[in-house]
Amino acid sequence: MAGELRPKSLKRVGDGLQIEWSDGLTTFTAWRLLRKQCPCATCVEERAKPPDPFRVLTPQEATAGAPSPVAMQPIGHYAYQITWNDGHNTGIYPLARLRELGEAAKG
Amino acid sequence: MNPGQPPKLSLPGVKNIIAVASGKGGVGKSTVAANLAMALHMSGKSVGLMDADIYGPSVPIMFGLGLVDSKATAFPLEKFGIRLMSMGFLVGTDQAIIWRGPKVAQAVQSFLGQIDWGTLDYLIIDLPPGTGDAQLTLSQSAPLTGAVVVTTPGEVSLIDARKGVKMFREVRVPILGIVENMSYFMDATGTKTPIFGVGGGLKLALESNCPFLGELPIDPRVAACGDAGEPIVRKYPDAPISKAYVVLAETVAAAATAAQSESLPGVQL
Repeated sequence: MAGELRPKSLKRVGDGLQIEWSDGLTTFTAWRLLRKQCPCATCVEERAKPPDPFRVLTPQEATAGAPSPVAMQPIGHYAYQITWNDGHNTGIYPLARLRELGEAAKG
Repeated sequence: MNPGQPPKLSLPGVKNIIAVASGKGGVGKSTVAANLAMALHMSGKSVGLMDADIYGPSVPIMFGLGLVDSKATAFPLEKFGIRLMSMGFLVGTDQAIIWRGPKVAQAVQSFLGQIDWGTLDYLIIDLPPGTGDAQLTLSQSAPLTGAVVVTTPGEVSLIDARKGVKMFREVRVPILGIVENMSYFMDATGTKTPIFGVGGGLKLALESNCPFLGELPIDPRVAACGDAGEPIVRKYPDAPISKAYVVLAETVAAAATAAQSESLPGVQL
């Protein structure tokens, strides 16, 4: 698929993800933003609701601290899956979404 | 296996994994997959055929096989030199598989990752219609070389074939090309009569900027061979449709070689 935008490298830099893209742009997105914008169905649904001040955190969430990935792996040719330090791991981030979040953080 | 965490399957002995898809049911995906596999094998390649249609498996009947004792049988089975795996070997034709998506995804992953396919030039995957669990599972888990999208000429089929093309574009699986099945009936005089419309496959290829891999004619012997358990390419190698499959196999093989795409880079954490 010649000409399609793709990441050349991805690495942790400080408290965020730096991606060098094939068109020359480099984006940086804070882990906090990536975790907040998790695209899994559960998180999307949660974000649509009013915040619940009485939600009980799991022990792992309570001790996790600032969002940080413990693993990030390619999924097929089109996305990455992040496993977070709070135990959440169902978010699959398509490349287009990673680019979008990176550009938004830049802007 | 947790379907929420698609495992990455490497299948190092398999050089090319090609999905045969459509979007629409009834266009002849399974027939195309079976005969494409057969034609590739008859050209001297080592080939496997995996039936990813968990609800309606067709591979067993097309190869004259059926239910086996799964505890006493080593998979994949082999017939006519092709290695085969299907839900139809595990569940009888009189039983319906009434499963939700996660179980379907799990079965597809098992067929890919827990069956010893060995060394193959091509693993052809016969997908079910649609753009759902089986397709997504494969796109996430398997190192797909590319997809062949099957359509019939009419607009009714094209509507869903376009969705299939769009799906593969979304998950960045290379589309090797569009095949138009049941393009025309050719009588003994060589006169071609279109039965299901004209030109839909080429139209889809042009609008999607995909290669057009060719037309496959209607031949009543195709269905008879499917029911009798021997692909027409093997049973009647001199039939016009069999020659068309041979050309299709050559074209798909060339497209697969050209489509070898890079894996996504790992992440330095």
